[in-house]
Amino acid sequence: MSKPYELGGGDVADRQGPGLTRRGFLRKGAAAMAGVTAVAGALSPLRELKRRDLPTLERLLQKHYKEMTPDDKQAVLKRIAEEVERRFGVRPTVTDPPPLPGVEYVYALNVSRCVGCRKCVHACVRENNPSRQPEIQYIRVLKMQKGSIDVETSDHHYDPPLVPEHDSYYLPVQCHQCAKPPCVKVCPVEATWQEPDGITVIDYDWCIGCRYCEAACPYWARRFNFAEPTIPRGELNPQMAYLSNRPRMRGVMEKCTFCLHRVRAGRLPACVEVCPTGSRKFGNVLDPDSEVRYILEQKRVYVLKEEVGTLPRMFYYFDERGSRYHEPIAPVRPREPEGPSEGGGQRS
Amino acid sequence: MRRYFAFLRDCLRLSFVGDWRYHAWMTLLTVISLVGLYCWCQQLVHGLVTTGMTDQVSWGAYIANFTYLVGLAAAAAMLVIPVYVYRNMHLHDVVIFGELLAIAVIIMCLLFVVVDLGRPDRFLHIFQRFNWPVSMLTWDVIALSGYLLLNLHISGYLLYCAYRGRQPTAAFYVPFVFVAIVWAVSIHTVTAFLYVGLGGRPFWNSAIIAPRFLASAFAAGPALIILTLQIVRRYTSHRVSDEALLTLRRIIQAAMLINIFLLGCELFTEFYTDSAHTASARYLYFGLHGRYGLVPWIWTAIVFELVGALLLVLPVSRALPTLNTACVLTIFGIWVEKGMGLIVPAFIPTPLGEMVEYTPTPQEVMVCLGIWAFGMLLYTIAVRISVPVLGGQMTCAKRYGEPALPEVGPGE
Amino acid sequence: MARVKPSDPPREPGPLPGQRMERLRPVLVPLVLFVVAGVLGSGLWQFESPLGPRRAAPPWASDPRTVYQPKLRPQITIAGYTYRCSDCHDLFPSPAETTRPLTQHREIVLRHGINTRCFNCHHRTNRDALVDDWGREIPYDQPQLLCAKCHGPVYRDWLHGSHGRTGGYWDTTRGPQLRPRCVACHDPHVPPFPPIPPAPGPRTLRMGDQSHPPQPEQTDPLRFHLKTPRGGPRPGDE
Repeated sequence: MSKPYELGGGDVADRQGPGLTRRGFLRKGAAAMAGVTAVAGALSPLRELKRRDLPTLERLLQKHYKEMTPDDKQAVLKRIAEEVERRFGVRPTVTDPPPLPGVEYVYALNVSRCVGCRKCVHACVRENNPSRQPEIQYIRVLKMQKGSIDVETSDHHYDPPLVPEHDSYYLPVQCHQCAKPPCVKVCPVEATWQEPDGITVIDYDWCIGCRYCEAACPYWARRFNFAEPTIPRGELNPQMAYLSNRPRMRGVMEKCTFCLHRVRAGRLPACVEVCPTGSRKFGNVLDPDSEVRYILEQKRVYVLKEEVGTLPRMFYYFDERGSRYHEPIAPVRPREPEGPSEGGGQRS
Repeated sequence: MRRYFAFLRDCLRLSFVGDWRYHAWMTLLTVISLVGLYCWCQQLVHGLVTTGMTDQVSWGAYIANFTYLVGLAAAAAMLVIPVYVYRNMHLHDVVIFGELLAIAVIIMCLLFVVVDLGRPDRFLHIFQRFNWPVSMLTWDVIALSGYLLLNLHISGYLLYCAYRGRQPTAAFYVPFVFVAIVWAVSIHTVTAFLYVGLGGRPFWNSAIIAPRFLASAFAAGPALIILTLQIVRRYTSHRVSDEALLTLRRIIQAAMLINIFLLGCELFTEFYTDSAHTASARYLYFGLHGRYGLVPWIWTAIVFELVGALLLVLPVSRALPTLNTACVLTIFGIWVEKGMGLIVPAFIPTPLGEMVEYTPTPQEVMVCLGIWAFGMLLYTIAVRISVPVLGGQMTCAKRYGEPALPEVGPGE
Repeated sequence: MARVKPSDPPREPGPLPGQRMERLRPVLVPLVLFVVAGVLGSGLWQFESPLGPRRAAPPWASDPRTVYQPKLRPQITIAGYTYRCSDCHDLFPSPAETTRPLTQHREIVLRHGINTRCFNCHHRTNRDALVDDWGREIPYDQPQLLCAKCHGPVYRDWLHGSHGRTGGYWDTTRGPQLRPRCVACHDPHVPPFPPIPPAPGPRTLRMGDQSHPPQPEQTDPLRFHLKTPRGGPRPGDE
């Protein structure tokens, strides 16, 4: 019969047989203490977590937006209003406007008129309470060169004294609220979905921050909060909605929502209102008298990256000469006058 | 049941027993894991801004390592197939190590996913609203968890039977082994499909990604196993035959040649076509718009892979030093190619053409190293436990003096 | 078959290096762990944020007012006193072919393309009104009827909402929709929309050096055929 397998083998000095000795106890105790202390040291950065970062029972039990009862929603909206007031010192109005019946939004952008001033970018920032540092902007204005429709040749960081620049045209890009959204397809927890009025929304309290949707979007429309968002107090927009512009937290996705809190009350999005040249048009495509309906029916409209098959809701269109119409057209070079030639019609 | 707890307790106690080199190794791995944990806690406090990821490059080192490790986990099947399907008995004694490696590696994969999440405190949401079958991530969750459970069951059952000194019943593990073979292929295919299905990223939107994943995984995985088996041979009493290593070498030969052929297919398709969709490939191999960050990495990886494949094909690699060199070249080359060479370039340029490069921060690198160290820790413990148990040195009978049962080896 | 490990107890006396390590092991391992705990817990390795100071956007970048805020009334303010146009112009007749100001309104520059005659737009005798194709008056607060004389397609688009700015509500059952008239954006004497300074561009997290815009490395189809460098004037431009 072989000897019992020694688990405490290897130490020459200690051969007092099986069982717990004082030395063994001290050794093991010291090692265990050291281990626990080391783990505590490794976890020490967590002491910098603020109270509001810690998950509360309420937040852990909060349901997905689509499963909330009206009472749940009331409680959640109240909680959000209190949190915002605590953080920013401003009492907000947090609402949850439902989608309007018989409405589907479409956005149209007049490429002939956009001068690339980026006022839409900043008006959106004022309206939607994204983080200012790190900077999050939903709209990205692309400076495109004439002759190319490939956005991969665009310049995002143009900064000339005046716009528009020579031989450039400008394409502002934001979430197109696609009818076949790839971001909705890939979200593992259904934190993003498309509402009946066409807006693709995010439940910020449900998102787990895996960023698969950001990888999937062909228009680079989605943004992630890599750090705790910072918004200066004086710039907070207190008219908020649960699904659109209430302040977000770090670790969740956000994006343009067509200013859901405005459009569901019948108002225009902030980017439409601020555009100085009137390039941006918005409305209900199901209404036959709306301007977007007119544009889609009458103007030369196209979409970006049609080949990825997402059926975007944002159409680009153009009228006539474009943004260089303040420059005189080059004079026509005089040509030979038409008429019978001496050679007797050699031309074929 | 009592004996099962005794088994677990004995395993736990055995993992703290070893000579000074074992303890030095384990302490080193523990320290690295703890520093990794520290950096992850910093990430929990500050957010993912502690990493080098941005809105432009929103997946980086974590997902790169995750992708690579899913491949390694799948490669455990490469040991199982020869033994169970083709009855090649050279690998018979070492299959268990492949499965134990798969367990450690899958746990590393899951850890890489957790550290990549912006809100890990909300991971329970995946059980409450699960976007299956549309989202490929849900398929991946199912595949990885299932694979982990399969391997835990198979290895655990065989180890427990050896501990109890009885012959394992074929019905309790052989069907699972065959399921695991198919499942191993599927976990890596599903991971590939995460990337392939995105039309907005033409660098990924190619049918060849899934076969390349499998080919490179079946080259890198057995290469790692060759190296770890030699360590097992050196430091434990377990017998690892040279024929086992050479059989693995044959497997890597085939996988590497297929991998290089598929690489050639990819390079031809990208650079002969030379359309606007190849911007990411041009950035990766030649630089684009004045940015060259990944060019030295990818060419190093390709050279490593070619040299490794050449060495593997030539008879010189029948000698262990050359074989080991070829394995290291293979492992590293495929790690670069799958991680930096696949994940990061798809984000550069962005779908709107912006060029923002990506460099992992020290915190990010430390978290990656911490997870690797933790996985190696788990694997070392697994080997530390399984060798005596399978070798018949630590059995229930020997520990608790029960009536002697005929000593049997691992019943595989 | 057992392999002889260096750390096996030796048959002869005297400690081997492995044995010494064995003796120290119970001390070294906890010691290392305590040191690690101390280093990590002391917070020596802090995270340094890459975020610099915030650059605030100027307030005009989100100002929704139109370029001009026209009075839409026939008035002029000189030296603090507001006159109606007819106060002076009932007294002073002007020849029909007047194409530029002579003594007053010298600040007005007329660059309206081929429209170089003042009385194409202004009523010749009643300077409080504008004029249509038949010489009838157009009120000053209806400039779009004047512009429509020549700019038919734009006027049609403006009526449908495709041209010009829109403000207020898209759903007119819930609130008013604001449609500024032509002169809110276009100076009638120099109508082309003026170039404006752009608001600041993006400065996102870890964006890197973006001062060099992408130059096409593949052939840009237009420049290839026009044989000009990107961004420069075409041959034939003034």
